[in-house]
This record gives sequence, C-alpha cells and structure tokens, in this order.
Amino acid sequence: MQNANQPAKPSSLALWKWAAILILIYVFIAGWFVPLKPGIIGVSPDKTVAGDQVVLTVQGYNTYFMKDPDQIRAWLRLTGDTVIKALRVEVVDDRHLKAAFYIPSVLPVRQDAYPMTLILDQPSEGSSVLPNALFISPASETDSAEMALWFKEKIGNIHQQAGMRYPFRNILAETIRNTYFHVPMWFAMIILFGISAWYSLRYYRHGSLRDDVISSAFVRVGLIFGLLGLVTGMLWAKYTWNEYWSWDVKQNMSAIALLIYAAFMVLRTSVEDEMQRARLSAGYNMFAFVLLIPLLFIIPRMTDSLHPGNGGNPAMGGEDLDNTMRMVFYPAVIGWILLGIWISQLAYRVDLLKRNS
Amino acid sequence: MKLNKSCHIYGLFHQPMKIGSVLIFLLLFMVQLAQAQQESSPDYMRSVGKIYVVAGVTLIILITILIYLVIMDRKISRLEKRQKNE
Repeated sequence: MQNANQPAKPSSLALWKWAAILILIYVFIAGWFVPLKPGIIGVSPDKTVAGDQVVLTVQGYNTYFMKDPDQIRAWLRLTGDTVIKALRVEVVDDRHLKAAFYIPSVLPVRQDAYPMTLILDQPSEGSSVLPNALFISPASETDSAEMALWFKEKIGNIHQQAGMRYPFRNILAETIRNTYFHVPMWFAMIILFGISAWYSLRYYRHGSLRDDVISSAFVRVGLIFGLLGLVTGMLWAKYTWNEYWSWDVKQNMSAIALLIYAAFMVLRTSVEDEMQRARLSAGYNMFAFVLLIPLLFIIPRMTDSLHPGNGGNPAMGGEDLDNTMRMVFYPAVIGWILLGIWISQLAYRVDLLKRNS
Repeated sequence: MKLNKSCHIYGLFHQPMKIGSVLIFLLLFMVQLAQAQQESSPDYMRSVGKIYVVAGVTLIILITILIYLVIMDRKISRLEKRQKNE
C-alpha cells in the first residue's frame, strides 16, 4: 500500500507510449478495412487449342463490371509485344464477364508452354491482371496472316484506379495485409536484439548488473517477437506457398537465429553466480547479434528463396509495396517497434524490482 | 483483502493460475476450432480472398501478447506478496 503522506496520483504515461497506442490503432483500422483493388481470381476454361475461338468466363474479385459494361476491354498477352485483343466482352454481373478471343493458329515464339496473361481494363475501376490465365496448345501450321494477328493490337490507355486501395496480387489476395503484421514483427525483433546488444556493451564498459538485467529482458521480448514472426509467417506460407514449412532458406536461417537466442536464455539459467552470468551473457549476446546479419540478410540472398526480397525474388517494392501500402507499412513498423520496447521496459522494470526487493 | 475471502470470483483470480492448464485449454479450443472448420468447408481459409489468414495472423499476435501479459502479471503478484510478507 502507498505511503499516507504521498497522495495516490497515477503517473502519466510517456508520450511515445501514447504514440504507440495511436499508431497501432491506425495500423489495425487501415490494415483491416482499406479495400483491395479489383483483381481476377479465375478463368475457365484454362486451356485451349491455337487456331480457334475461345470464350473465357472471368471471375473477378472486388470488381464492379456493371458500372461501365460497354467500356471494358480485355487482352491476352503471350510476351511483351504479342497481344490479342478480345473480340467482344459481355458482362454477366459485377463479378463475372465473358470475353471471346480468337487465338491465331501460328504462335510467334517457340516455347515449351504457352501461358497467356489476361489483362482487363475498365475506366471506372482501373485495370487488373491474371498471369498464366490460359494455356495454349500449338497447332502445327504456318500462316503469315495468322502470325500478323499477334502484332495487330497493342495494350494502351490503361486506367489507374484513384483512391486509397491496396494492390490486388495474384495468390496473395487479401493476405497482402499481413505486411503490416508479419513483417514488423521481424523489424521489432531486430531492434530489440540491437538494444539488448547495446546494453551488453554497456555492461562491459561499466560493469553494472542493472545493464545485464535490462539486456536479458530485451532478449526475452525480442525472442517472443521473433517467434511471432516465424509462426505468423508459417500460417501465411501455408496459404501462399502451400506448406507451413517449405525448408526455405529464409525460414531455416531465421529459425537458427531464434535458436541461438533461445540458447542464450538457457545459458543464463544455467550459471549460478550473478557476475559470471552477466559477463558470459554479455559476450554471447553481442556475438549473437553480429550473427543475425549473415543469417537474416546475407545467406537468404545468396540462394533461391520463395520469400520476397531474397534470392531469385524481387525486393519489397513495385506492386508488392506501393505508395498506399507505405502509408500504413512505415507506421506499422514504428508502432510495433514501440510496443516491443514498451513490453521490454515493463519486463525489465519487474526484474529490477525483483532484484532490489 | 477481505474481498478475497468473501467472493469466490475474486479469489479465483488471486490464486496463482496454472499457466499449463490455460495453455492446454487454449490448445484444445484451437483444435476444436480447426476441426469445426474442416467439417464445414475444406477451403474455408482460402475463401473471401484468403482474408481469414490475416485474421489468423492478427489473432496469433494478440493471443501471444496477452499470454505474456498474464505471465508478467503473475510475476508482479508474487513480488507484491513477498513484499507484503517482509
């Protein structure tokens, strides 16, 4: 109970904690409720023979085809310049339309497979793209008139949708929102481990056990954020890469990084003497933080990886993180980092109280 | 703390909660939930543009942070108890 001379006054919350609360509320609202741009989920049939007409039934997502049904245009693209325009587009309802194409009997390039990208453009709602929408089986003919059909039309005058919308990415769909929840977990983990390493360095310089207590609390909370990053990544991977664990470099290396830090916690409990424990864990902690750099940033970039921003996969940018998403992503990173620091602060305050009592 | 003895509900929360039993309860609950989903539709998680994956991710984060708060709360309660006994 409190001293009778001191009035029970609730101490005010630091400004950056209020900032963390407000930023995270913004991130949750914007992250969950801003709609996606229109996209194409599926096309049937998905195979056809060259030299024939095909009517594709297109299923849209978040689309409003009924808004301007007469102005919708559709193309099938094989490579950069080889494009066929739809003969006609019939809108069924907001989410469905039928597009008729004539596939020329001669194919302009020689490939193992002929996957076609479907592109839709609508003035009011913007454009949407579905890669590998239709596969063509070649017919063995040579006809220069047919060949010319591939180069007759060009994709032009594509509309962009105005307003705050997240991009619709094939396979990702709504899960693109995980960018605001899964990715900042790792940012927060790295910052927390960094702060922890800084306090380890401070322990070496000043030898105060207080720094050791603070450093271990930051590792503990950083480990939780890392685990959250790993588990949320696994759930995301199940529905985009088709496996919880694909033995991808990024997954393996981040698991190793977490194991190194988990070993740190085990190491701490195994040493009885306070000073010895502090000295040992300060050294181990700085070593572990240095190891994070090759494990998380270098090795995954050297081989093939499914994870964006790593080997064989473009970095976050372009359509994966457009300017609308940046308006939520950067606050999300800051908000989750602040929350991580906040939780760590609570953790070390409890530990310090325990030590002093 | 007279309140503790007179009211069972308050007493319940002041007893050291067994984290293990809470975790087991959560696990059972999640298994039940997963089974219910499988029975209704195998593609539940992929429906509506896979939005339930985002729901799952945010739930995992929320539940983990809440569990950590509960653990810290118990730690503080133990400290308070020790301080009162001294």
